[in-house]
Parts: sequence; structure tokens; C-alpha cells
Amino acid sequence: MAKEFDTVVIGAGPGGYVCAIRAAQLGQKVAVVEREYLGGVCLNVGCIPSKAMINAANYLYKSQNAFSNMGFQLPGNIEVDHKKLQTWKQGVCDKMSGGVKQLLKGNKVEVVMGEANFVSKNEIKVGSDTLKAKNFVVATGSRPIEIPGFEYDEQTVLSSTGGLAQDKSLKSLLVIGGGYIGLEIGTFMAKLGTKVTVIEAGPSLLSGVVEKDMVQVLQRKLKKLGVNVVLNAKAKSFKKAQMGLSLSVEVNGKEETFDGEKILVTVGRKPNSDQLNLKGVGVAIDERGFVKTDAQMRTNVPNIFAIGDIIGQPMLAHKASHEGIIAAEVIAGHNRVFDAKTIPAVIFTDPEIAYCGMTEEEAKKEFGEVLVSKFPFGANGKAVSMMETDGFVKYIADKKEHVIRGVHICGPQASNLISEAVLAIEMGARLEDVALSIHPHPTLGETMMEAAEATLGHAIHVL
Amino acid sequence: MATVDIKLPEIGEGVTEGELVNWLVKEGDAVEEDQAIVEIMTDKATVEIPSHTSGTVKELKFQPGDMIEVDSIIMTLESGASAKPAAESKPEAAKDDVAKEAAAPKPSAPAATSNGGSNGQALAPPVAASNVLATPSTRRLAREMNVDINQMQGSGLAGRVTREDVLASGGGGSGGMESVKPASMEFPRPAFHSNQADLEEREPIRGIRKKIAENMQMYKHIIPHFSLMDEADVTSLVKMRTDLKKEMEKSGIKVTYLPFVMKALIAASRQYPMLNATIDDDAGEIVYKKYFNIGFAADTPNGLVVPVIKNADQKSILEISAEIMQLADKARSGKLSLEEMRGATITITNIGSVGGTAATPIINHPEVAIFGMYKISDKPVLSDGKWRARKMMNLSITADHRLIDGAVAARYMNEVIARLQNPARLMLDLI
Repeated sequence: MAKEFDTVVIGAGPGGYVCAIRAAQLGQKVAVVEREYLGGVCLNVGCIPSKAMINAANYLYKSQNAFSNMGFQLPGNIEVDHKKLQTWKQGVCDKMSGGVKQLLKGNKVEVVMGEANFVSKNEIKVGSDTLKAKNFVVATGSRPIEIPGFEYDEQTVLSSTGGLAQDKSLKSLLVIGGGYIGLEIGTFMAKLGTKVTVIEAGPSLLSGVVEKDMVQVLQRKLKKLGVNVVLNAKAKSFKKAQMGLSLSVEVNGKEETFDGEKILVTVGRKPNSDQLNLKGVGVAIDERGFVKTDAQMRTNVPNIFAIGDIIGQPMLAHKASHEGIIAAEVIAGHNRVFDAKTIPAVIFTDPEIAYCGMTEEEAKKEFGEVLVSKFPFGANGKAVSMMETDGFVKYIADKKEHVIRGVHICGPQASNLISEAVLAIEMGARLEDVALSIHPHPTLGETMMEAAEATLGHAIHVL
Repeated sequence: MATVDIKLPEIGEGVTEGELVNWLVKEGDAVEEDQAIVEIMTDKATVEIPSHTSGTVKELKFQPGDMIEVDSIIMTLESGASAKPAAESKPEAAKDDVAKEAAAPKPSAPAATSNGGSNGQALAPPVAASNVLATPSTRRLAREMNVDINQMQGSGLAGRVTREDVLASGGGGSGGMESVKPASMEFPRPAFHSNQADLEEREPIRGIRKKIAENMQMYKHIIPHFSLMDEADVTSLVKMRTDLKKEMEKSGIKVTYLPFVMKALIAASRQYPMLNATIDDDAGEIVYKKYFNIGFAADTPNGLVVPVIKNADQKSILEISAEIMQLADKARSGKLSLEEMRGATITITNIGSVGGTAATPIINHPEVAIFGMYKISDKPVLSDGKWRARKMMNLSITADHRLIDGAVAARYMNEVIARLQNPARLMLDLI
């Protein structure tokens, strides 16, 4: 017997489960199909466990590098119980995933575990079950890209999933790919005592997405942490060596080898559009593998919607959630499109990086003359007391109207500070609006106000 | 037994929703194909919606007074004998659909930045694609009012589009000349309570009355009105019409004074084009119209409606008369189509046929003037020192003072009067 629903969401990640809940709030009969874990990659093997590991590593790093300055004498070296660390990390994930389960239940969303396949545009099979629905929302996300010769076995060649699940201390780690995932994992590994080498094919870390001046700050800190960054380097192959693995790399055209205990490959993610029989029911997919949608998240098959990683960059959980809400409301007959001016990006390196809106270059192209200014965390009392003074807040505004067009932060808690900038851009705020809003002292948030003042030419705490 | 969903079909160009006035069937009734099932009121027209198939009414999904969006399911029918073959052919049809979509993805197969929805709904593009400044909640308001915020000139700081800008734009901008959808304007809604409630009767404001109320409130809100009254000696016109009456009756057409007034208005409007214009507030421009569509207010059992004689400058008095008869007939029976009430460039109210010597009507926005004609009566008029019995008609012009100065209105009135006093003048205007 087929079960019938108004809307079936496929994939219970941060796009899918949010979509299912909103659809249920709007009075629909909803099911969500999930093949692995509620909360998806984000809650189980992505954002959340990596933040747990990063936070843990920061405690350790501070105790080793800041305590003595403050007069705390440790009796000896801190022993890390990696098994216990993993158990604690898993506890964080399970708590979040359990929360999703409760929310779905509380909203009367039926959870169907298993792998879905489209039979027709109104019907899917999950195992032996048939689910019929008026509308489907495809939210099946993405998976790590594999490079030939470096197939993931999660023992010697790790994907991000394996990188987050090491329950023994690693002496050394070779990271292929200097994007944000490789740098986040590489950084906490380095803080946990691993010798990390980052092999990046391009001429710069975080290439193409992050402003150069922020990458410079990051690179200085990586050096301090003992991370070896190799640019313009293409990983060719690896073989077993006496002390682990030997990786052969072409650096600026010359062959070099790097030794390490394991290899972490983080060269990006690709959409899971080859699954579900999407093509079989006629869903259009572009040449990069992304499902094509319109601004309402609708695919070319009118009753099939798609959201999140599977429809395109940036592959970010908060983008997926926002799209999930739009899809649910469009299905319920509301007049909605994806109408956000900016999608913030956050990178949990040390220091953190966060940005929204335009880059300096983009703003110049669009508005001609622009105002750009930075305020350093070194001039902020809270940052100094935290001993985290690397980095700055940078504003980009158009010169004519002073409307804030882009904000780029590199520094402590950049991930939390950026929300104010997102609000400013969405509200169409001018530099004066932020500068004239009283920011509490002493906080990191003052840097947002001071940077706006600096861009207007009259910050108090910088010369 | 198969169940068939009956949806609210497209009612007119740009019409996205309608108000349910009255069900013409009830649950359990048998319905024939093409039988009228429901009365839906849109803008100013009430239309009867037919069923596209036959069956027994299973469920009515809406109540009178509900606003229903086009394409919503309004009722379900249980179809009888014909159900089986339909059900059998269904899976095949469904497969067909999939195959078709697979074979031919829609040409506009949209990227994330595309403007429209793929379901044929006209959608304004996301703001991310432009540099418009507006808060997220204002953007959503605009979208819900069908206003393309990307096209708006904001009145706020640094050109920002404010909530007030969006509200004042009225919404519904679907490309036609009417860009105003008054329902979304916000006015105070004071309550009424009294200590004699038992001697009062209440009924909901709905249907045409509701539309009239909303429109009048908004027109009066937007336009600074002023009125000017005068009188015309129409003795010759009356004589002319009496002389021609027999001729005209031969062709079965009743000719009133209205078409003569229309012709006089058109001639005067050619001299003073601002009377046949519109203010595009959004663009901050005056739109002079080179066509003459004359609306005439008609009193019907349901309330006031304004049918329109399109391109009245290109029609003879006889043709206009025939059209007036036809439209007035339709108006009285509530059968006017939306199209027949759209696009007026100036309106005439003929309230005088009921009573009154002068009135101050409300301008039918986006027009900028409304002309009033009143009862013809015998009056003694002193001329050359002698009292004479003359046929006199009062006239009024009410205009949008933003565009039309008092002197312009007076000169315009003089031009109209000159033609009504001496209908031969109309000959000179003939093209």
C-alpha cells in the first residue's frame, strides 16, 4: 500500500528537515526520507562535529600557550584521551540530531529511513515502501569529491568524515586541498599536536573566495601553529613508507615528496544529483551536476523542488535552510522567491574568517568609487584581554551614499560578529547607521562600530 | 467513483484572485458540464464560473466572502459513469507527462537567478539582482502586493524604498494601465458600537459594495479633488434630438444626450489634453493619452459600475448609442466583463437622470477628471432684456488639482458648453 502525502522531503539535512517542519506548520501532510542520519552531514559529520573538535583544540592550545602568561602553572604536559574526546564530540552530535528527531515528531512529520528513488514524478520507492506525494523537495546534498589514486578508505586516505573521527593521536597529516574544510580540520589537528602539511594546487589558500588581506593574517597564524603550507602544488600519488605514507607532489613543476601518517583529501564537494533517479523523471541537471531550479526552488518538473547543496554554490547549511523555508511556502501557495541580498560565509580557522556582501573589487566595478577601511582587533580591549588580537574588520561602502556593500572580518568570533553586517546589508544600512548605533563596551562588537567610523574617516581608537 | 477537483479558472488578464459572492450549487447537487456553479467577484465584475465537467458536488471548499486565488481548488465533484475510463487512462497520461517533461525541458529552464516561477506565475525578480535598497520585510510586502520593487523609485534615505512607498504604489502592477489595487492600502478602521444594537441590523460588506468602498476611499485619498459647476442652454440640442428622433428610432436605437456630451468632451479634451491624462506617481510622469475611452457611470441593483466606450472618438453617435444600450443592459444584469469596464480615460456621471442639480463625484483613478451632467429643465432666461423659456442643463467638472488648474477646468468647461449650446459646432470637430 502506498502512503500518500502532500509533500515528501528527501534528505533530512539542514535544508530538508527545516523544509519539512515549515511545510507541516503550514498544514501539509509531510514525510521526510533520510538514508543515514537526521540532521545530515551538517549535524553528524560536518559543521557541528568540526566545531566541537575546534573548540576542544582551542582549550588545549590556550592552556599550552596562554596560561603561563597569566600565571597559571600546569603540573606537567596535558594528556589528550582521543577516545574520550571522540565520545564527547559524538555526544554533541547525538544531542543535536536527537533534537531534530523531536522537532519532526512534534510537528507530525513522518520520518522514513532508507534510500529514495523516483518511480514517477508523484511517487518514490524507499526500500519496499511506496510514497506518493503532490510535491517533492529534493534536499539530498553533496558528498566529498574523490580524486583518482586517492580513493577514501578512511584508514589512510581520509575524507572530512574520517578527519573528524580520529580516535588516536596522529603524528603527522598531509592535507590535500587548502579550502576551508581542509584548513579547519588541519588547524585543530595542529593544535592537538599533529604536524600538518597543506598541499594546495592554487596560488593561494581559500583561493577565489576570501579577500587577500585576510588570507595573509591566516597564513601568519598557520605558520605560528607549525602548519606547513605548500602552494601551487599538485598531489600525484602516494606509497607506503616506513613511517607511514610518502606523498609525491609536483610543486611549481618540480617533483617533491612529503611524508605523513595519513592523508586528508578536502578538494571540495559535489552534488548528489546522480542519485534518486532524478534524470529518469526528467529533472534537468546542469553540466556541473547541479539540479536547475528557479528562484522559487522549483525544478523544470513543476511538482519537484530542490534546495541546498544539490542546486548550487555556496554549499552552506544556512543557505539550504533558507531555501527549504521558501520551497515549503511556495508549495503552500505563498508568493515567495529567494530574495536575500547576501549569504554570509564563515570559516572556523584561527583566526576565524567571516564575510558578506561584495568584495572590494566587486564594489568598485559596480559603484566606481568606494570607501574601504579596516579596524584592527589589536585596538579592541576585549580582544586584547582574550589574547586574540590578530585580524581586523573591514567595511566596503559606496562613496556616494555610504551604503554598506560588503563586510569582511578576520579575527576572534568573526563568525558571530558577521550577523550584524548581514542585517546592515539586508536593511540597506549606511556606514553612519552602524557608527551611530551605540555598541556595548567592552566587547568584540565595538570593532563593528569602530570600523564603520574608520571608513567614514574618524575612528576614535586608531590613528 | 472518481473525484474531480474544480479549480478557479483564469478570470481575466492580470486577475489573480476573486471574492466568492455566492454558491449556485450545494453539496449533493448534480452538476452538468458548463453549468454555472459559483459567482465570483473580481475588480468590479461579478462572473459566473461554469463547471468543466459533470458530476455530483462532494465538497465546497470556500464560503461566501472568501478571497480565492486563481487555480485554487474551489470544489470537488464525484464523477459518475464517466469515471472509470478516466481512471483507467490516468497512469498512461501521467507517464506521458513525465516523458514529455523529460524530452522537452521548458525553454526558460531557469537558473537560480531567473525572474519567474516555472508555473507560469509572473514573478518580480529577486532584489539580489539589483541595487534597490529596501528592508527584507518591505521586499516581502512588495512581493505579496505583486509590486516589482526593483522598478520603484524610493523616497527614503539614499533612495531606499520604504514600506510607505510600497503601500502607496497600490500593488498589482501587471502591465496594464491600471496599476492600482486598493485593497492593500491601510486606512483606519474605527469600530461602531451603539446602545441601540437591537434596533440595528448588520451585514458584511462584500461583493461590488466592498470594491466600491475600497476604491472610493483610495481615490479620494490619492487625488486632491476640486469641482466647477456651470450650465448650458441646450434648447437647440433638445430640438435637434427631437427632430432626429424618428430617424434614429427606425434603426431601433435609442439616442440619449450622453453620446453628444461624449463628443463634446472629446473635442474639448483634444484642446486640453491634460484632462485625458494620468499621473504615473511611481515614475513621476504625466501620461497624455492619444485615445479616448469614455466611461459612463451606471446605476445597477448591486451598485455603481462604470462601463467604457472604447475609442469613442472613432465611433458615430449612432454607434455609441447602440453600445451604451448594450453595456447598460449588461450592467443591470451583472454580466459586464472586466474588459468592458477597463481602460477609461475620462468618465461621465449622469446622476442628473435620477435627480439633483449639482454634485461633486469622485474621480475614477487613474483618470484625472469626471464630468457630471444633470437633468434638463425649463427655465426662464433673461436675454436681450427679455425673458425667454429655455432648456437648461447643469454641468460639472471634477478634476485632479495636481494636474489641472482651476482656469484650465473652466476653459475646458467653456469648450464643452459651446458645443452643447450649439450642436452644429460638433460638425466642425468631425474628422
